[in-house]
Amino acid sequence: MKAIKPTWRLLDTGPRSAAYNMAADKVILTARSKDQVANTLRFLEFSPPSALVGYHQAVELEVNEAYCRQQGIEINRRITGGGSIYLDEGQLGWEIFVHRETPGIPQNLEDMYRRICEGAVAGLARLGVKAQFRPKNDIEVNGRKISGSGGAEFENAILYHGTLLTDFDVDTMIKCLKLPIHKLDDKPVQSFKKRVICLREILGDLPPLTVIKRSLMEGFMESFQIRLDPGDLNRDEIMSLEKELPYFRSQEWIRGMRPKFQNSTLQVADHKTKGGLIRVSVLTDPSRHRIKSAFITGDFFAYPERSILDLEAALKDSSSHPADLFKTVTQFFAGREIRIPGIEPDDFYQAISLGVTQASRSKE
Amino acid sequence: MEENTLDVPRDFLYDPNHYWVKVTGSTVKIGLTAYGQNIMGDILYLELVSAGTLVKKGEKVGSIESSKWVGTLLTPITGKVVGRNDEAEANPRLVNIDPYATGWLLLVEISDLGELAGLMNATVYEKWAGEQIIRERERYESY
Repeated sequence: MKAIKPTWRLLDTGPRSAAYNMAADKVILTARSKDQVANTLRFLEFSPPSALVGYHQAVELEVNEAYCRQQGIEINRRITGGGSIYLDEGQLGWEIFVHRETPGIPQNLEDMYRRICEGAVAGLARLGVKAQFRPKNDIEVNGRKISGSGGAEFENAILYHGTLLTDFDVDTMIKCLKLPIHKLDDKPVQSFKKRVICLREILGDLPPLTVIKRSLMEGFMESFQIRLDPGDLNRDEIMSLEKELPYFRSQEWIRGMRPKFQNSTLQVADHKTKGGLIRVSVLTDPSRHRIKSAFITGDFFAYPERSILDLEAALKDSSSHPADLFKTVTQFFAGREIRIPGIEPDDFYQAISLGVTQASRSKE
Repeated sequence: MEENTLDVPRDFLYDPNHYWVKVTGSTVKIGLTAYGQNIMGDILYLELVSAGTLVKKGEKVGSIESSKWVGTLLTPITGKVVGRNDEAEANPRLVNIDPYATGWLLLVEISDLGELAGLMNATVYEKWAGEQIIRERERYESY
């Protein structure tokens, strides 16, 4: 006899403001923790366009506020972790709210990320897109990021969400967020665009949003062996949402994270090698000894080409202490077959280390 | 790694959310166990409530972030916060590398000493956490 599949609720809340979407995240997560609603898959869209920082981030360090004001881009803060993101009609948000004890959801975070992202990967496969999970939190296609993700917990419930790039406006993202590139130079901007990819670029034509959602739904149903029952927010959730909305629109929430122990410094370092120049743009937080993100270019040749993008992913949010940085770089190269004529792993360490050191000095 | 993270200090008490409690008179020092921090992974941000805050067992006393995950810190003890580890807040890595000493989180003046009886000693915690790990592994593998 076939086992009956558990049923999750499907929510599709349509284009909404950032404040609505953030408040809804809190309300649904709370309702799930109190067992007032079933496990839920929600699709979310953002209108007007929005810049969101992670829960522990400070808006002033992550977002170009003047540009956002000028362009009518809303700024808000997520209840989940991770870095700043830009969202417009070119992205589809997907998220799941589940009880911690849900079968197939591991306790260990890294296992959990992989497991949940498998649902989105299976959905993309239905669209003909060969995507895969890339630690720590990305889904990528040939090394280029198509979906980032992050999560949060409340009592016994967890929220995990991601954004799928459907038809992405990279130029606006670059202007809106404080990223590790100098925006006036065309070459780094072009190179940065190669770090991400959207469905339109892969498929040529963009399928209707309904088709994309259907594919993701099927992916999650297959991956978690569940059924999805289309539903709405219940009465209590709607009431809670109305109560929470003013707070999620307030500066108290949006700017609630005081940057007491945070900083953000961008440095560009050049390191000459036999194989060519390595240029590293590194965004660091010298206060917390962290590399927030790194952007590596140069006139060298790397095989496979994606290895540099994978190195950047490995460096994200890593420790900038020299010994830790050395370990991150050497461990990265030790596990892979990478050929970069005339360049050794230590050259990358030297280049990144130089950027980190310059950033620390500029802070002093 | 799991075996090592379950080798816990003998003179501390423990709660099911993987916090340790070190009792000195009517004050306790609270931190995450090695296993608790190991589940979180590399900790990027830590935010703790201020000294003077009255806290109730099981309530939120801060937030913690690793790998884009925001977790909630819950106090295992009711009382008044009389100290917090500013150094760990500035450098959360301490919680990862030295969870039982410099990576401590809060100092709380206990309201009800009777609450300590509800916590586990080292032997009970190790056994309990070990069973949790096995159950979790089985649950994941059988899926």
